[in-house]
Amino acid sequence: MTKIIGPYIKSKNTTSKMMLNLILALLPIIVFTVYKNGFLPYQAGKIDLIHIFYPLLFILLPSLVSFIIETLYAIVFLKKRNKDIIRYIRNSYSFFPGLFLGLVLPINMPIWIVLLGAAVATISKMIFGGFGKNIFNPALIGYLFIFLLFSSYFQVDGGYLNKLEVDTISSSTPLTNAVLVEGIGDYDSLVKPYGSLINFFTGMIPGAVGETSALLCLLALIYLTITGAIKWRIPVVYILTVFFITSFIGNINDLGMWYPLFQILSGGLMFGAVFMATDPVTSPTTCQAQILYGLFLGILTVGIRYLTPFPEGVFISILVMNIFARVLDIVGSKAKFDFRVSLIPYLIAWALIIGLGFYIGNNYVKDASKVDANFKIISKETIGNKTTYIATQKGYVSDIKAEVIINNEKVISYKVLEQSESFYYKIYDSNYLDTLVNNQFSLNNVDTVSGATVTSTSLKKLLQNVLKDYDESDIPIIYDEEEKDFEIINIENNEDKIIYNVNKKSFGGYLQLRITFVHDVIEEITVVNQNDSYFGLVIDANYITTIIRNQQQLEEIDTVSGATISSQAIKDAITKTIEDYSGKQTINE
Amino acid sequence: MIVGKKLDIGKDLSKYNKINSFLNPQYVYVPLVSGSDKNITVVVKKGDYVYKGSIIGKSKGNFRIPIHSSVSGIVIDFIEKSYLDGSKVKCVKIENDFKEQVISKKEVVTKISKYSKEDFIKVLQTCGVIGMGGAGFPTYVKYNTDKKVDTLIVNAVECEPYITADYVLVQDKMEELLEVVDAVMEINGIKEGIIAIKKSNNELIKKFYNYLGTYPKIKVVGVNNIYPAGWERGLITKVKGVDYHKLPLEKGIVVNNVSTMLAIYEALKYHKPLVERIVTFTGEDLKEPQNILVKIGTLASDVIEHIGGTVKENYLLIAGGPMMGSEIDDKDLIITANCSCVLLKDLVSDNDIVNCMRCGKCTDVCPAHLSPVLIKDNLKNVKNIKKLKAKRCIECGLCSYICPSKIRLRELVIEAKKKMDSGVK
Ligand code: SF4
Ligand code: SF4
Repeated sequence: MTKIIGPYIKSKNTTSKMMLNLILALLPIIVFTVYKNGFLPYQAGKIDLIHIFYPLLFILLPSLVSFIIETLYAIVFLKKRNKDIIRYIRNSYSFFPGLFLGLVLPINMPIWIVLLGAAVATISKMIFGGFGKNIFNPALIGYLFIFLLFSSYFQVDGGYLNKLEVDTISSSTPLTNAVLVEGIGDYDSLVKPYGSLINFFTGMIPGAVGETSALLCLLALIYLTITGAIKWRIPVVYILTVFFITSFIGNINDLGMWYPLFQILSGGLMFGAVFMATDPVTSPTTCQAQILYGLFLGILTVGIRYLTPFPEGVFISILVMNIFARVLDIVGSKAKFDFRVSLIPYLIAWALIIGLGFYIGNNYVKDASKVDANFKIISKETIGNKTTYIATQKGYVSDIKAEVIINNEKVISYKVLEQSESFYYKIYDSNYLDTLVNNQFSLNNVDTVSGATVTSTSLKKLLQNVLKDYDESDIPIIYDEEEKDFEIINIENNEDKIIYNVNKKSFGGYLQLRITFVHDVIEEITVVNQNDSYFGLVIDANYITTIIRNQQQLEEIDTVSGATISSQAIKDAITKTIEDYSGKQTINE
Repeated sequence: MIVGKKLDIGKDLSKYNKINSFLNPQYVYVPLVSGSDKNITVVVKKGDYVYKGSIIGKSKGNFRIPIHSSVSGIVIDFIEKSYLDGSKVKCVKIENDFKEQVISKKEVVTKISKYSKEDFIKVLQTCGVIGMGGAGFPTYVKYNTDKKVDTLIVNAVECEPYITADYVLVQDKMEELLEVVDAVMEINGIKEGIIAIKKSNNELIKKFYNYLGTYPKIKVVGVNNIYPAGWERGLITKVKGVDYHKLPLEKGIVVNNVSTMLAIYEALKYHKPLVERIVTFTGEDLKEPQNILVKIGTLASDVIEHIGGTVKENYLLIAGGPMMGSEIDDKDLIITANCSCVLLKDLVSDNDIVNCMRCGKCTDVCPAHLSPVLIKDNLKNVKNIKKLKAKRCIECGLCSYICPSKIRLRELVIEAKKKMDSGVK
């Protein structure tokens, strides 16, 4: 019996209308990415005119790959012909996996990898039987594929930063930065490097091609909800859950409301929630299941962000929850008859939300207690009081290899041996290594280098990790009885000149000075010997001359920044010498 | 809250048009069916002369109800025609002599509330009053109980799109409606009378208020303008806040459709058997959509011809509304007391059906709290469709209506129901 039975009227809504609305909602986002990643860098003179539309190409080419592969599949495997092919193409929305994939990758990802990912995305969809049957979000399978096989390409050429951001913004993406920040971080370390939260909202922060603008994602959410094109419960619950847990965490750590906002506005959460988590085919169909889905997505995302080395967590959460979509639907369908059926999953979700918030809020200490997996000691050698470390720390592009020499619990030398960081010249230009050594006892206060935040943070961490190892390994310090802080080697009496040869302990060992008094006044100071790494700064600062000029008010002379220890040592040595000199003169009189 | 969908379409086609009548067909084909009961004993034979109101058949089942001739004339044949559910049913073909002869004129009862309960039930039974909303279940049975009935709900919601038969009836016969509701309440000792009507039918509600002073025990309750607001279970939950297991009577509630109420009125007042009803003839393919009073047993195609015919030659003929009605292949539909609408629509093709995108709209919309998409997925697995309680489907058709992929979910769920039945055995 093939008789058609009612209803004989149908809503005007169709699958293709819903897909069209989806595209309409994506349009502003695509325009925005061309503006942000194409036009602005061009305007600033960072890229050529022809590259303005590269972001567009970056999403259209993978879309095309998806489309071609699926069409071929229809012709070769499904043996569709003529009209059937057109019908198939019209109803399979085959370009979406590639489109979405392009939108969630860093702009500097080599395009061939993107296209490969798009191919994998589409093939994954077809393995499950095509549109409507796939369990996993195809675009995210493509993403996972690239993530597993080409993870280093997420960082090449500036990674997520477009050519303009590379120069102006002092960091990588906000959440990558957050991982590197000490402990839970604060406004200055998390938000400041990117301006303000407004930038997070509008999307003027580094991030994947299409996912930075929270504003446009929210507008899309509203539009798609009104037009009934997406399962709105999922993104709403998802975003609120992340907001709730992170405000809990923020509260425990006395951070303001900016903190949960920072969390929901970064890491592609908005984009993932609105466009990826709502992929109709791979998400639950019943109301309660959708709410639970959103809750667990939020829980997973927060869990991944704080408890694993992965900074973002949105896409992994969605892929994991894809597995449970159909299971949740069983609960959801039963809950429609009797809400109590869903009580247990709700209880679990809430227990996890509160537990996670409480646990992370109270126990989240990123560095102090945990071993840094990104740090490795290659060699460690102690000769006398001198310990030489060769160690590596993961940088922005790859591992940075450096040599640190510690003498008597003090770092006397820090040299980078190997690195391939994109913006190392900024480190070099700013003498960052010197700054670190000079401030070795208060490293936490050392700022990162603007434009090379990740690299500079890594360099700082490397030093911290070496010091931590040094502290823990109880290297015996040989106290040399003879070694004194200040020592007068001899005093020469040469007509009206009295010359002091003195030794003063300084940064890299003894500092030998020759101080000439003429008529009770220091006329000349010569540095006979020194081992300090940054003594050049002292010379550059004309510090010696300053001392000679102000020998009556030595205590008022500032030390040389960048060479504090050396300059202090000189000042102390002069003070002591003057003390000795005037003592002797008094006796003589 | 009733889950549903605003589906206020097609009503304007017929709503404001004059009620016509077509009471003189050449032939009537009185179907030998009572509700779903086709087990009827025929009491006439070819060549017999019958009066209007003569009993021509009697049901043998538990709920006995006579079948009346709707015209006076000669029985000329017994032939099969289509019933509103699409099945074939044996009909008594009577040639109209246009005399409208009745066996004996009964006195008009002036005060219809004076009936005793026994007499009331007897009148309903002999006049063959059945539920005119769709099921066609004998009405007297609802009252023939020892259980205390507290509430009478008159269902005037008429939520199906396109149908306006009840609307025009209420508009036209408001006084009679209130009179009979009051009488039925008094006869059966019912304390509360509720007339449920769509809030959007402002003009009717306003009109009611003019009369309500006279009938303090009767309330008018407005329900939301959604489909299926007139679904009995949902309606009772909405107006009384209770749910029942099998029958509303468990909670002391009787629900009658407005048309049925007015059939009761005619039975009480004039002893008139149920041989006519107002039917909405409508649809885009009909030249002049309208409500029309017709004899039970009239061939729908005769009515269509009478009122000016169709726009196109090929059309779908649907008995009932667009949501729950059924297509009548042979276009030989017979008007029965429970047929409120004949709908003519364009033929539909099914090549607009695409893969399910799992948007979940069908599960959101189902008033019976089912998950049609999951039932569709599990169609091969009787155990699972049992768990998904496909049996609860009220066949409202909203899932099919809403589906953006145009999947005929209602059909699939009905198939699942059938599988459950055979699976149980
Ligand atoms: S409404 Fe249609 S497309 Fe949407 S889930 Fe239900 S069956 Fe699938
Ligand atoms: S499953 Fe049945 S009750 Fe539910 S919407 Fe579909 S037809 Fe109506």
